[in-house]
Amino acid sequence: MSDAWTERLSEYIDETLSEGERVAIEAHLASCAACAATLDELRRVVARARALDDRPPATDLWPGIAIGIGLAPGAHPVASLGQRRARRRLSFTVPELAAAAIALAILSGGAAWLLLRASKAVPMATTATPAPMPMLVNAALSGTDPRYAAAVADLERALEQGRGRLDTATVRVIQKNLSIIDRAIREAQSALAADPGNAYLNLHLAEQMRRKLELLRRANALAGARS
Amino acid sequence: MLATLATLTALALGAPQQTDTTLPVRSGARLEVENFGGGIAVKTWSRSAVRVTASHSSRDRIEIGASDAGLHVKAEGHRGPPHVVDYEITAPAWMALNLSGVYTDITVEGAQGEITAETVHGEVKVSGGSGNVSLKSVQGAVTLEKARGRIDLYSVNEAITASDVSGDLTAETVNGDITLRRIESSNAEANTVNGDITYDGTIKDGGRYRFATHDGSLRVSVPEKSNVAVSVSTFNGEFNSCFPVQLTGKAKHRFNFTIGSGSARLELESFDGDIKICRPGAVSKEE
Repeated sequence: MSDAWTERLSEYIDETLSEGERVAIEAHLASCAACAATLDELRRVVARARALDDRPPATDLWPGIAIGIGLAPGAHPVASLGQRRARRRLSFTVPELAAAAIALAILSGGAAWLLLRASKAVPMATTATPAPMPMLVNAALSGTDPRYAAAVADLERALEQGRGRLDTATVRVIQKNLSIIDRAIREAQSALAADPGNAYLNLHLAEQMRRKLELLRRANALAGARS
Repeated sequence: MLATLATLTALALGAPQQTDTTLPVRSGARLEVENFGGGIAVKTWSRSAVRVTASHSSRDRIEIGASDAGLHVKAEGHRGPPHVVDYEITAPAWMALNLSGVYTDITVEGAQGEITAETVHGEVKVSGGSGNVSLKSVQGAVTLEKARGRIDLYSVNEAITASDVSGDLTAETVNGDITLRRIESSNAEANTVNGDITYDGTIKDGGRYRFATHDGSLRVSVPEKSNVAVSVSTFNGEFNSCFPVQLTGKAKHRFNFTIGSGSARLELESFDGDIKICRPGAVSKEE
């Protein structure tokens, strides 16, 4: 997994290797099961990233901005979302891909759920929605990643404030299930510490972290709905 | 003493009362029911009308709002939130349903339209539904049968069961098993943290299937003549197959194999549990 070709897998996925390099890496992949498995998992991450929905803005802000900066609204047209999507290239190194998996999982799961619930849920904190920026850190360390930790802390604080609006049975259920997820996170982190390059473990940890955020958000929404 | 207590309780809660109303509805109308504590049971008939029967305290009032969009049913307490209300509702089979509660069990039988059912403490049990079918409970089992469309099943602390379901299917819980039987889907995903997952259904060409648990086993059916690329990942478990497979890309904790052309994709992941694939009908949790 940690051989010289591993760092070239991203380029291989992006088809930016030279013909000679491509032939060489394919020959290597044929004989290196670990690299083949890693390639397969990295492709899954890229596929999930590409599957994310790019929502167009509700209104086109460019005409107003153009007038504001003294340009004709038609000047310097902004590339359409479709054009940008078409030329979007998702190129990462192996550790970045694993970390990106966490960011994608959190954004696609948590944020999407928040959007869907927006009409019902009471916003608990302005920081409850993670900023749409990639968290490019190794997933093995992500449990202590400041942005993830901050998002969890914000939600836990909001939940503590709203705790009085939840009955004890609901609080107990949420605490129990947060403990279950925390245990899964700890076990995944421990496994990753022993095998930091394992793409499955990175993705698995990302999934458990997403679950924790989602459950916290759901609990906050419940507390908000009772207010 | 007991008689006195009973009398005091009756005074506090109000005498039991029954509301029974039938209202006509137009085609395409939606039925929304909100409840705090009690039950919501919906059955269907062929009439273009909704019958609402509610057992409740005389201190509470059942409000039924009618508009072009449909009916909205809820209870209002004399002072504060309403007491326990048990709704028995009969609606046209085509009617879209939006049912929600807190301490509420929700059951639906025979619906053919869209269904959204969400409760905090209580079971959700639905037979029927098409289009978007979304069933959620925090502390309660979620059960669905005989539905088709885009299916979304969610629980936090209980099991999820679906059978005789077709369409895109997502099932997620934290602490519970997920059992999916007689599923016809080209896009199915099930996730739990602490529980087993059983999938007995189709693997369609070009389909996408993903089943993942942290602490539990996976039992998944792969029909004969399937064309599927399978990836298996487990940190601390075993993989078994009821039929021979040729493993490729074998690495520590993970490997792949392809059946037929491999046009479908099946991802099986269990951090701390066994993974087993068998033919449809042979997938059993007891194995």
